[in-house]
Amino acid sequence: MKIPTARFGEIDVDPSRIIDMPGGIPGFEHLRRYVLLTHRENHPFLWLQAVDDGRIAFVVVNPFLFQVSYEPEIPDDVVRKLSIGKEEDVVVLVIVTIRKDPFRLTANLRAPIVVNGNNRRGMQVILEDHEYPIQFSLLKTPVLEAEAGSARKEMAISTALGGV
Amino acid sequence: MLVLTRKSGDGIRIGDSIVVTVLEIRGKQVKLGITAPADLSVHREEIYRMIREQNEMASLSDGMDVTGVKEAWRTLNEAEGIKT
Repeated sequence: MKIPTARFGEIDVDPSRIIDMPGGIPGFEHLRRYVLLTHRENHPFLWLQAVDDGRIAFVVVNPFLFQVSYEPEIPDDVVRKLSIGKEEDVVVLVIVTIRKDPFRLTANLRAPIVVNGNNRRGMQVILEDHEYPIQFSLLKTPVLEAEAGSARKEMAISTALGGV
Repeated sequence: MLVLTRKSGDGIRIGDSIVVTVLEIRGKQVKLGITAPADLSVHREEIYRMIREQNEMASLSDGMDVTGVKEAWRTLNEAEGIKT
């Protein structure tokens, strides 16, 4: 299916690659279908593009690429809602906010996007753990691997979730 | 706004499937128990609002800025001697 988007023009989406977010995400509850797009090769960022509103897309990144102690505990009700069977199926992404000043790059560690790669169902989980900031500065956080390695890992995530 | 007075142990039912129970009242704090269907999410209002605002801000990110970020990253990391 072809969908018009504000950032990428018209894109062709394989319906089997759609990520279903039954509850939407706070502020965008009416949008329930998303696809994952790579920003460009060798870039750790991915785009979570809303299928039903071409204007809405979020930059997301794999938080485990960064040298930060991050162990989000997925609550039982989330495990149930997403029908998560095994840990390997879980994909965690965090939403990145990019402002005009690129040095003010932050990631929301408090509310990660959790997706079950097996059934492609996901949701934004608001963690009870107060330790994780909503605006975590990413720029001062070293990347764990060489960029090429990171990019490969992102491609793997993208492939697991059927990124375009 | 509907206002109801309840005692500890009392509940309120909303529709068929949501029950809010007052579990404990201590000084200025009240402990509530909430039973709701799995497809409804329940959050503390102020946290929910902060997450929503952050999402709204994040949705304004644009592709040009993403490219700028990578440069900023490199500049900063080089300045601090961090290997990227």
